Amino acid sequence: MNRMTWYSRLSLSGVAWAAVALMNIPVMLVILGSFQTTSNMSSTAGVIPTSLTLANYETVLARTPFFTYLANSLTIAIGTTVLSAVLALLAGYAMSRYRSPLLTVFSYSLFVVQMFPVVLVLIPVFPIFRELGTINTPIPVIILCTVFNLPFVTWMSRSYFDSIPTEIEEAARIDGCSQLGALWRIVIPLSGPGVAVISVFSFLAAFNEFFIASVFLRTANSLTVPVGIQMFVQQYTTDWGNLMAGCVLMMLPTLILFFFAQRYIVHGAVTGGVKG
Amino acid sequence: MLPTLILLVVVVAFPLVSAMYLSMTKGSLMKTSGFVGWANYVSLFSNREFLSALRFTAIFAVTSIAGCYVFGLGIALLLQKTLPARGLLRVLFLMPWVIPSVVAVAGWRQVIGSEDALANLFLRAIGQNTVYFLSDDTWAVISVIVIKIWRSIPFVMLSLLAGLQAIDRSLYEAAAIDGANRVQTFFNVTLPQLKTVSIVLSLMMAIWSVNDFETVWLLTQGGPGYATQNLVVLSYLYTFKRSNVGLGTAIAIMTLVVLMVLIVMSLRQQRQPK
Repeated sequence: MNRMTWYSRLSLSGVAWAAVALMNIPVMLVILGSFQTTSNMSSTAGVIPTSLTLANYETVLARTPFFTYLANSLTIAIGTTVLSAVLALLAGYAMSRYRSPLLTVFSYSLFVVQMFPVVLVLIPVFPIFRELGTINTPIPVIILCTVFNLPFVTWMSRSYFDSIPTEIEEAARIDGCSQLGALWRIVIPLSGPGVAVISVFSFLAAFNEFFIASVFLRTANSLTVPVGIQMFVQQYTTDWGNLMAGCVLMMLPTLILFFFAQRYIVHGAVTGGVKG
Repeated sequence: MLPTLILLVVVVAFPLVSAMYLSMTKGSLMKTSGFVGWANYVSLFSNREFLSALRFTAIFAVTSIAGCYVFGLGIALLLQKTLPARGLLRVLFLMPWVIPSVVAVAGWRQVIGSEDALANLFLRAIGQNTVYFLSDDTWAVISVIVIKIWRSIPFVMLSLLAGLQAIDRSLYEAAAIDGANRVQTFFNVTLPQLKTVSIVLSLMMAIWSVNDFETVWLLTQGGPGYATQNLVVLSYLYTFKRSNVGLGTAIAIMTLVVLMVLIVMSLRQQRQPK
């Protein structure tokens, strides 16, 4: 495998870069489109833009409730992250350190959640959240996002705890630490990257979530960025430029977080998704 | 673990039981009234929209699993070679999976959304007719499937890449000594070694494609007509738009049944003796 000729290496590289370029066409069109006026986009009989403008960004930031959407999205994403991280760390720790019939049932039920149709949960739960007066608040979205995130992040945290030797905790226990104390003072600090990845993963999932948010959030002030941007499409049908600018603004935090943690997210997703 | 277990019971077990009850009632989400027994389920089997959704869900699942497996494996094999800038390539290949679905669909609209979208500019340049990707029944189905495949390739690629890297090198040496050529090595060593990860992947992809709401809803809202309605979209429509919560829940439960059949089938496959 390492004895490839420079020729085959070059042609394989060519194939790889061509495939990457082809796959990223939709993303590139969004970015290019965000710098063009809508009229320019629909009239250009070509993809190469003739002039670039920041007008779309100005419109989206100054004349639409983008910042309200962003604040709502952040509330939901941070709430989901905190709740998911706490639950996943406790459950992952238990799954990594103990064996019991209850744990077996638990790990099966995680698998069930993984396959559960979201809509099947939404229907019966909707009237309850309505009775509680929580429609158009972040609460139902945070709770449901957390639940559907849990299988993934719990398996991720379990695989991190598996990699930490139990001897370290035992030493702490001998020195008089309680079980939870050892988890909090010794194990969690040691699994720093694991905690970070669980958080980033939960954050991204909640930040990008569309279905749950679109069912529970209906008033203009409660919308999240994905649902709000979708509204642009319906209300200002022809305003493609603004839509694209909104998309880029929404994609930005996602991409930054992803590049920052991609190595770990990839590892976690593969173990969480496939080994589970 | 206990807090999670409580949350699971509240958010999964309770809804399941109450959904079963709801699926046997009529009325809207605001006010359900009257127990009707199995009537909703019986009516589904003469409901053309439901049968069409069932068919589309099956086609959608099978074609998207096959499609993203083929492309995912191709890219995984490519990235396994020591190419320059392999890390950067890998990150760029992950983009379709990382970006939010709203952005993904907006991007695809630039490619296939109108007569002057990129794909049509290209088709006209090579002398073909304009295609109305989203308003023609067949093309709408193809478009939704292609976008689903495109979104799923990165995950399949990652998992297969991990699977490829776990294959014992000595198997390849043995194959080389036996005089196997590249194609023979691929079919007799590489593919069989990927069997376990492939089965799990197909299972995950089946679950995710049957449960997919966002790709379909954001692109076509189930249209044109009901060409691209899957079970989840139809269930959403009945429950939240047409105020028929009984039928909506019955469809959601049927979705779960379809999934369980798929899962039992693939677990059987996995347990078969070698």
